Amino acid sequence: MFDKYLVRADSLENFIENGKVAGFKFAVRNGNYRGVFASLHNGYYLVVDGVLYPREKQKFELNNKPPRDFDEMQNAGYEHWDFDDEGYVYVEKDGGLSKGKHTIIFKQAVFSAYGYFPGCEEYIKNPPVPGPETKHYLIMDKTFNPVTYELELQR
Amino acid sequence: MAKIKRGVSFYSYQQTQFFKQLGLEGQIREVSENLYGADGIEILDEQSLRQYPNSSDEFVAQWHGWMEKYHVTPVTMDVFMDVLQFRDHVMSHHECAERLKGDIRLAKRLGFKNVRTLAVVPIEILVEALPVAEELDIRIGKEIHNPIPLHGKYVQEIVDYVDNTGTKHLGIVPDWGIFQYQPSDVKLEWMIRHGASRKATEILTQTCLDMRVGVGPLADVDISLVTAGNIEVNWHRYLKTDEAAPYFVKAFKAIVEITNSNISEPSAMDYDVVFQALLFSQTRPEDMGKLMPYIISIHGKFYHMTEIPNRPGEFEDCSIDYEGPINYLKKAGYEGYINSEYEGQRFYQDLPLEQLADEVDQVRKHQEMLKRLIGE
Repeated sequence: MFDKYLVRADSLENFIENGKVAGFKFAVRNGNYRGVFASLHNGYYLVVDGVLYPREKQKFELNNKPPRDFDEMQNAGYEHWDFDDEGYVYVEKDGGLSKGKHTIIFKQAVFSAYGYFPGCEEYIKNPPVPGPETKHYLIMDKTFNPVTYELELQR
Repeated sequence: MAKIKRGVSFYSYQQTQFFKQLGLEGQIREVSENLYGADGIEILDEQSLRQYPNSSDEFVAQWHGWMEKYHVTPVTMDVFMDVLQFRDHVMSHHECAERLKGDIRLAKRLGFKNVRTLAVVPIEILVEALPVAEELDIRIGKEIHNPIPLHGKYVQEIVDYVDNTGTKHLGIVPDWGIFQYQPSDVKLEWMIRHGASRKATEILTQTCLDMRVGVGPLADVDISLVTAGNIEVNWHRYLKTDEAAPYFVKAFKAIVEITNSNISEPSAMDYDVVFQALLFSQTRPEDMGKLMPYIISIHGKFYHMTEIPNRPGEFEDCSIDYEGPINYLKKAGYEGYINSEYEGQRFYQDLPLEQLADEVDQVRKHQEMLKRLIGE
């Protein structure tokens, strides 16, 4: 849902950590019509300028808390990512992105189950890695296909 | 004659909320001012409430202020069951019941009369939470959603429980999608933009129309015990491994056969498209017959309101039967709410901004139809 509108167009910028540019970040909304418990947000399939940045390179900033990686986010079972709110995806990349336009292929993974379903134990033991294919439209992939955004680096 | 009441589920305004065109108060005002006397408010807890489930007392006071100011009534609060919420285990029935009890208490604070649970919530969970509902005089209504029909096991177990115990706080919330008999044009166009062939969508529509009149290989197939998500999981397993629970095999084989006989060299997508025919529950108005006392509220699901040819200002959804069920409800003396639940917006969201659906307009048209068919 909201396929083309999940990433804010003017939000792409590099970020600094320990005095040097350590990566880039951009603002996103939640593709699930009711928001989601933060624990159920499982990261992104993310390809920027042809380079895949796996879930392990990603962090997420939400609810005025410092960016957390997605293993930490799993513990946020009592924290809600409200439908109205933006979060920031942080992506580790030494030196960040260059000035100018960048192509971002993007797919958000949130596990928004409608109760028990066949294979739900598998989501605990071996959670699906966010990927380009649609694994389970109703439960994990809120957009059917990855969506391509062209974003200009703001700073 | 008894009067059916009208309201709106704010599910309908999800996109309007997403783009911050209307906030919660704006949505309430819209119901109050532009829907020909509708007064019912239905929310999804997580969608409308900040930092669910921890609503502040200030918010609750403001909420009641809005209800009074706009002369509207909180009718139903829709609640969920995220069994993966804690990520290190699948939630037990007891944990789910605890979440439901919390939701019931929250609904009470906000003045709602009903709590709607998802279609798949096991009855044990509802029963465990029921004492809280009884104490607070909140009715728990289990949603009956496509493709689950009204005559399946999921409804019967509720009926049996109510009959055996006499509780007045448990029942069902049918979703009007059970009266849908063919896919909406907006969904078909969305599927085509996502790679479906037009031919496959035509076969899908024809298959649905055949099922409606009881002809073709799917005429007597009944998969009434599962939700859409669960049918989908089983279907994909079947395509990959050629195996499925015996319950599904006949239906899945028929889908493959229909596809093969109508499309030469069908693609994987073609099968998936025709498969959608299994997601309609084939419910008829008279199926509500014996269930009338158990109906707590109704979701007026719709996908696309269009003007009826030669009847300016009057609207219909061409994929769903509204007239038959409303006539039935009138005769049966239904006095509860039908709350508009617009779900067509998602089939435009891959398009540019100016082509997105206008949810506010769609709900107004839906309410025009309800008012007219109810005969107010």
